[in-house]
Amino acid sequence: MNESVIQVENLVKYYDGRCVLDGIDFAVPRGCIYGLLGRNGAGKTTIIRILLGLEPATRGRTLLLETDSASLPAKTRGRIGCVAEGHNLIQNYKVGRLIKLCKDLSLQWNDEFFDHLIETFRLPTDRRVRDLSMGMRAQLNLSLAMAIDPELLILDDPTLGLDTVARRQFLELAIEVIQKQGRTILFCSHILSDVERIADRIGILAAGKLVVDCPLEQLKDSVKKLRVIFPEAAPANLYLTEIVNQQVQGREMVITVANWNKQKQTILDTFKPSSCTEVPMSLEDIFIECTRPSAEPLEVV
Amino acid sequence: MLALIKREIQDHIVYFVVALICSAALVALLSTAAFHFDRPEWAIFTGLTIPLVVILVIGFSAMGVTQMYIDRNRRISAFLSVLPVTRGRILAAKIITGVLAILIVLLPVTVAAVALRRLLLPPIPIFSDLITDEMTTVFLMLFACYCLGLLTGWTPSKITPTFGALGLNLVLFSLIVVKGFGPEIRLLLVLVIAACLIRTWHKFVSTSL
Repeated sequence: MNESVIQVENLVKYYDGRCVLDGIDFAVPRGCIYGLLGRNGAGKTTIIRILLGLEPATRGRTLLLETDSASLPAKTRGRIGCVAEGHNLIQNYKVGRLIKLCKDLSLQWNDEFFDHLIETFRLPTDRRVRDLSMGMRAQLNLSLAMAIDPELLILDDPTLGLDTVARRQFLELAIEVIQKQGRTILFCSHILSDVERIADRIGILAAGKLVVDCPLEQLKDSVKKLRVIFPEAAPANLYLTEIVNQQVQGREMVITVANWNKQKQTILDTFKPSSCTEVPMSLEDIFIECTRPSAEPLEVV
Repeated sequence: MLALIKREIQDHIVYFVVALICSAALVALLSTAAFHFDRPEWAIFTGLTIPLVVILVIGFSAMGVTQMYIDRNRRISAFLSVLPVTRGRILAAKIITGVLAILIVLLPVTVAAVALRRLLLPPIPIFSDLITDEMTTVFLMLFACYCLGLLTGWTPSKITPTFGALGLNLVLFSLIVVKGFGPEIRLLLVLVIAACLIRTWHKFVSTSL
């Protein structure tokens, strides 16, 4: 099925006259794990808040489960699990009371799975939420979001504040959810190794624009970092388009190019380089290249 | 919806306790005054009723302010809004809780007033209408104070809700003192309530959480 669970169309958001999101378009198909990346202040949380109807958009349209997110009915909300940035829970409630409230308000609640999570994370139900550590709050928030068996899970930096063991537990849990057919996840994180491990589609926000929106494998294939050594001094201009980054030192040139293809390879070959080797790039390397302030505007979509 | 109302009652239980105490005190004062109608102590009972009414006016206004102020500053609605709940329902639950608290005060007083009328006064329709008019006006007055509290409470500042609600309540209270319990004041109170609720609804539903 190719139906989109999340649809964002020409989304624009201004804060105090400052453009935070400038015409964002993307769609997340059912069953996809979409990793939304960007530097601090890039607008990831704003997109999520607009999607959840917590923030009005200046312009554009956002749909969640085929419903306008500005007016999501309770029934649709019941199919969405959410872990918000900063784990915004009711701080003065005891954990047990918060769990009961969420259970009473939910349309469905998987007691068995929730109890399993509470046991796994060893969460104390008799303590107040404000007395929990940041990591414990993250675990509680995640458990509450998972307990409703969500069709769509929106996670805004969910591993923030988690230690290594808890982060691993979280990832395993996320993979468990993914294995349930038809589940869709929108996932924001600064820990790119986590995103690389579970995401199958990536969006990268830079300067208010979505500069990358493609499957992870395609991104890795299309962005290439090459170390080229020329017989004499490296040429000042290679006449290649979509160069993300270029560093020259004597005969050596290191270039990062987006949408690498045969045509670009042929252009490079006309300069008769002595050697041309590909430098392997992780998602983190690609992210750094794409969001570098001096980087040329790049679009891999 | 019931879970939301239950949450509001539990979070603001202190107002319900105060409402219950005020209600009991009003019933006691009303009963005592009824049996001492011809005596000089009657003036004392009437004098004691006024501070109770002032406590109720300020109390219900404070309840509205607290509900909205705490919600906004602890980002409670931001959390509830990601659950299967709409903002409209969250606000409706708050308003229903406010109405319940007002009824806790007024229902026992109304029942006591009706019982005393039947017991002590001749069955003339004017007395029955008097109780209905007074109770309706008092209900509208308390509800208007509560709605003013809701309206002024949705702000990050502490000064605006405290003094804003207090000032507006003073104006309302003075109007009732001057105009009495007539139909004009009831119409005015209904207009104030409608204006407050529409503005609060608009603010609550459209702002960022």
